[in-house]
Amino acid sequence: GKWAATQPKQPPTRMALQHFDATYSAQLGALWPSIRVALLSERKYGALLNHFSHNPDVEELQGQGCKDFISNGEAFMFPASADHHSELRPEEDSSSVSTVTHGGGIRQPSPLRLSPNIRCLVFPRGDITRFRPARPDKFGLLSYYLLDAASMLPCLALDVQESHTVLDLCAAPGGKALALLQTQSVRFLCANDLSVSRTSRLKRVLHSYVPKALLTDDKLRITSFDGTIWGEIERNSFDRVLVDVPCTTDRHSLMDDDNNIFSRSRVGERRSLPQLQAQLLLAGILAACPGGDVLYSTCTLSANQNQAVVQQAVQLAEEQHGIQLQVICLRPLAQMFSNTFHFAPNLHLGEMVIPHLAANFGPIYLCKLRRLT
Amino acid sequence: RLLCSVSDQTSSLLQRNKRNSPELSLRSFLDMGFTEYQAEQLYDSVSRLKGGNAAKHVLSTLSVLFVLGFNPTTVHKLLDKCPELYKVKEMQLQQRISHLRQLGFVEGSLQRTVSHYPKILTVPVKSVKSVVQFLREKCLFTTQQVAEILRDSPAVVLQDLDQLEYKFQYVYFRMGVKQAEMVKCRLFRFSLDDVRCRHTFLERRGLYQTPDKKGQTTLINPKLDRILNVDEGTFIADVVQASPEEYDVFQKLLAREWKEEDFEYGSIESY
Ligand SMILES: C[S@@+](CC[C@H](N)C(=O)[O-])C[C@H]1O[C@@H](n2cnc3c(N)ncnc32)[C@H](O)[C@@H]1O
Repeated sequence: GKWAATQPKQPPTRMALQHFDATYSAQLGALWPSIRVALLSERKYGALLNHFSHNPDVEELQGQGCKDFISNGEAFMFPASADHHSELRPEEDSSSVSTVTHGGGIRQPSPLRLSPNIRCLVFPRGDITRFRPARPDKFGLLSYYLLDAASMLPCLALDVQESHTVLDLCAAPGGKALALLQTQSVRFLCANDLSVSRTSRLKRVLHSYVPKALLTDDKLRITSFDGTIWGEIERNSFDRVLVDVPCTTDRHSLMDDDNNIFSRSRVGERRSLPQLQAQLLLAGILAACPGGDVLYSTCTLSANQNQAVVQQAVQLAEEQHGIQLQVICLRPLAQMFSNTFHFAPNLHLGEMVIPHLAANFGPIYLCKLRRLT
Repeated sequence: RLLCSVSDQTSSLLQRNKRNSPELSLRSFLDMGFTEYQAEQLYDSVSRLKGGNAAKHVLSTLSVLFVLGFNPTTVHKLLDKCPELYKVKEMQLQQRISHLRQLGFVEGSLQRTVSHYPKILTVPVKSVKSVVQFLREKCLFTTQQVAEILRDSPAVVLQDLDQLEYKFQYVYFRMGVKQAEMVKCRLFRFSLDDVRCRHTFLERRGLYQTPDKKGQTTLINPKLDRILNVDEGTFIADVVQASPEEYDVFQKLLAREWKEEDFEYGSIESY
């Protein structure tokens, strides 16, 4: 029987649960039970559509009831006579960081510019149908990439515009890099990841989805540096920087004992995560050009790895490098997609998708910073 | 069957009278005190029975039920609910009833159980004995507790013993509930899936813990009674404090998890 075995030691998944119970029930209060059951149950995926592939799979999926949540979010947004109070929301940051909305507080139907080329199909709320693996078209390109649909939000929030140069500091295995390439706006993408093996996986992913002609050296560079020293490599150069850091990967840590950050042997590594994250974000800030945007994201609920890291990095940027940053409010983005995702209420810095059984995406935290100097 | 005209009805009655022995005429049912409607219905189902001794069994079944103290209306209801009773031999009926009495059914409770679950009289003494033995020896219920289980949840006598064992072990080990509480909450009235689903929902929300070896938990588990003996709406809103939507999706997800687990075990066993 399942209960018969008495484990000599707690497996990492159990350690993770105990840790989350202690920290998240304090941090999230009454929201925690609902998030907990979602984290411990099967997650939902989204299918990031590949523009470069010609494949009938997509029609089949739409026939099954799948919808592109991104264009549907927009459809939901535009006709609404919604008054965007949030844009005019007074400052409520307890941090030293100031927040402004996209569009500088101008009242207009949508302050958001979202790439029309990023499309991501999801099954409707409450529908637990699974995607089957994507198939290659006649050129060998796959029709979609399965990922947490909420991880499209950092890519959308990054707001890549025509002829931008983009740095993806922690890029492997490449879901977000692939989404950024889908915009077809990126002039040059630099995709970096510390892990060599994961970088090769990133290469394989890109080659299974993007035609070779778009992956030439003048358009794409793939590197395996330690992201924390990026500031020593090149500063003030990228229009957009994505800093999608390693974290406690809450979902994975609860479900899989293999390669688990809560295993005894990795206690030190786990404890030093916030420090590493702040260093990576700081490096990303340094790599952005003045006026450029930096997007920080994680897949943990932990305030220590989310808001606290942003605050620390903003402070370090100012103190050590004299760089002024502004937090860009992502409330309009969250409102736009509130039909697809559950967002944590009242986060004072950034936005966070919290898992819910009927929309079992996330956790994804995102916070957008603009370099003023 | 169409009962569209009087002549149709009469002719079919006549035909049946030829097949059946005289003591089972419509009249005889009326004489026993059944209403016309009941008598017709009984007559009708009896005449569909096959086999040489059919009529004999019917009569003995009726007399046993009358002797137990049921009135014609109840007898009619019992037979309507459980027509298999017609076919049970008198000897067997008597044995089964006296076995139930031995197991602790007193007058009143025996009648209540039979009228609630007439099927219990179709189960051979041997099968009842093996369930009783299982409950005593494998689950360590006391004799009195076993009697109570049979009284409150007579359907256990027809359940698969492996399923029963799994349910008991689940509640005993995973939920940490002792025998006395199981009996009090009428655990055996609920399906294993219902029990597991409600418990797992609570557990994943962090509201239920399996007690450790000393029987201790770091939170106070809701009582089994609060989990099982409330309707679904109350369970979701008051006990778990979740939304119906969440529980709805959860049930779907869990059903799929179980299906896939079974599949895995199945494929391991077939090696
Ligand atoms: C959350 S994952 C990135 C996921 C990726 N952005 C995607 O969408 O597929 C974090 C990554 O950071 C990498 N990493 C860890 N430490 C790093 C460092 N010091 N510099 C750069 N990358 C690092 C890990 O190898 C891991 O692949």
